[in-house]
Amino acid sequence: MTIAERLGKVNYRNQERRDARPHILVDTNICNTRCPHKATTYVCPANCYTLDEQGHVHFQFEDCIECGTCMYACDQGAVSWHYPDPEQGRGVNWNYG
Amino acid sequence: MEAERFGCIIVGGGIAGLSAAMVLARHEVPFLLIERGAYSGAKNVSGGVLWGTDLARLVPEYWNDPNAGFERFVNHRRLTFLDEQSAFSIDFKSSHYDIPPYMGVTVLRAVFDRWLADKVQEVIDRSACADASFLAFDVLVERLLVEDGRVVGVEAGGERFYADCVILAEGVNNLLTRQIGLQAEYVPADHMAVGVKEVLRFDRRVLEDRFQLSERSGMANEFIGAITDGVEGGGFLYTNRTTVSIGLVLGMADLRRKRKKPYELLDRFKTHPVVADMIRGGEVVEYSAHVVSTGDMRAMPRELYADGVLVAGEAANLLLNAGKAIQGMDFAMHSGILAAETVLEARRIGDFSAATLRRYRERLEQSYVLQNMRNFQAAVRLLHEPVMYERMPRLVCDLGREFFRVENRPAPKLRQILRDVVRRHSSLPELLKLTYRAWKAL
Repeated sequence: MTIAERLGKVNYRNQERRDARPHILVDTNICNTRCPHKATTYVCPANCYTLDEQGHVHFQFEDCIECGTCMYACDQGAVSWHYPDPEQGRGVNWNYG
Repeated sequence: MEAERFGCIIVGGGIAGLSAAMVLARHEVPFLLIERGAYSGAKNVSGGVLWGTDLARLVPEYWNDPNAGFERFVNHRRLTFLDEQSAFSIDFKSSHYDIPPYMGVTVLRAVFDRWLADKVQEVIDRSACADASFLAFDVLVERLLVEDGRVVGVEAGGERFYADCVILAEGVNNLLTRQIGLQAEYVPADHMAVGVKEVLRFDRRVLEDRFQLSERSGMANEFIGAITDGVEGGGFLYTNRTTVSIGLVLGMADLRRKRKKPYELLDRFKTHPVVADMIRGGEVVEYSAHVVSTGDMRAMPRELYADGVLVAGEAANLLLNAGKAIQGMDFAMHSGILAAETVLEARRIGDFSAATLRRYRERLEQSYVLQNMRNFQAAVRLLHEPVMYERMPRLVCDLGREFFRVENRPAPKLRQILRDVVRRHSSLPELLKLTYRAWKAL
């Protein structure tokens, strides 16, 4: 089962909202200039951090399942982590949990 | 408009927060519980077995409620060692565990927490505080209000709420605990793990036949070995009413070091030949993830109370896996109860300063929660050593393979098998050392 198929099973909040407010801010400059491991691109269980062909880190918050892994795995100070706003943010609504 | 004032504000409507709320509701303390999810459990993930009998204290005779929010009671335990092809299990099942109050129940948090919140609301409705205590959902607490170094309330949804004292039951990502300096702002990955999990749906008959379940009985199976591909951690499989919870808990620092993706390791676990036979035909209905402490006490906040505030449950990183069971939800429940009892005591004295709230720490130290965590720290550290999740499971599986092999030729004696197996994976001195350490730790 691919990660995309897995995330397809997640019940996200505010899915219809186009302008959802991000709850995690990532300074990808730090990732791309001085991070020796770019760990978020593989430890994130929702694959929110990806590498492009040039090896640059990209982040999107829409698929985030609010686990918090990146907040601990990033030891470079690039990740600023908050809880999503119930009205304006994304985040999850677990059906089973 | 004058800001509202409560006897207590509870941040978080998970197990720790709801347990505290139940105690306060029973004692008619006006409180406000604030949960950011649309309902209790909307943001919660656990393995999950809730161990122990505290639930029966909070909701007496819950097993007689046909709508009780648990999945199955556990009367079947199994610990499985794996190499790439084999599984060697220690298996124990007993009808001794069939009698309430149950030793443990499997839960799905979106179901269980929601039910528990309903039970708290029922108690509120019957109490003198029916119009003074509230469970508020869909509201995010943005920050704690601190005056003269003392927590006096919260700011949530742009409004301010004041109380004699605040119980932080905000979960493992304890941003408010960090705000007031009880935990460092950056918590390193070293003593943290990430759990990834799937819920698989089965036809109820298939599930009950496959796992030999009767009406409401269930199985808890933990796994250690090749499934994590050399990454610190292990797996679990728990039976629910019509689903199975299956997942891995992976040491975060080790995952980073070995550059592995948690969901790829989950695939590895699910396709292990023995595991694949257990879950065949199950349909994935949810995928989730959750950060947990490894149970190392170095992950805990530097203190669990301060002026006007108490920290309970996973926000305090109360968790233990010493090889026997993964305990977290029971610690959350117990610490929530103790936090609320401390609030009751502080109300009697009329003082909510740290000098009184330190009674919470004392209660926890006297309880099984911190006693177990302290007593089993050596076991936690032993279990997180590579030999325990790499070579030992292989040794055990190799032993199983050789012992159960029957061929049409003279068979070796057990002592010969043991000698060969130990030599292949370890050495006698190493094994003796580990056995001695395990003997002391467990």
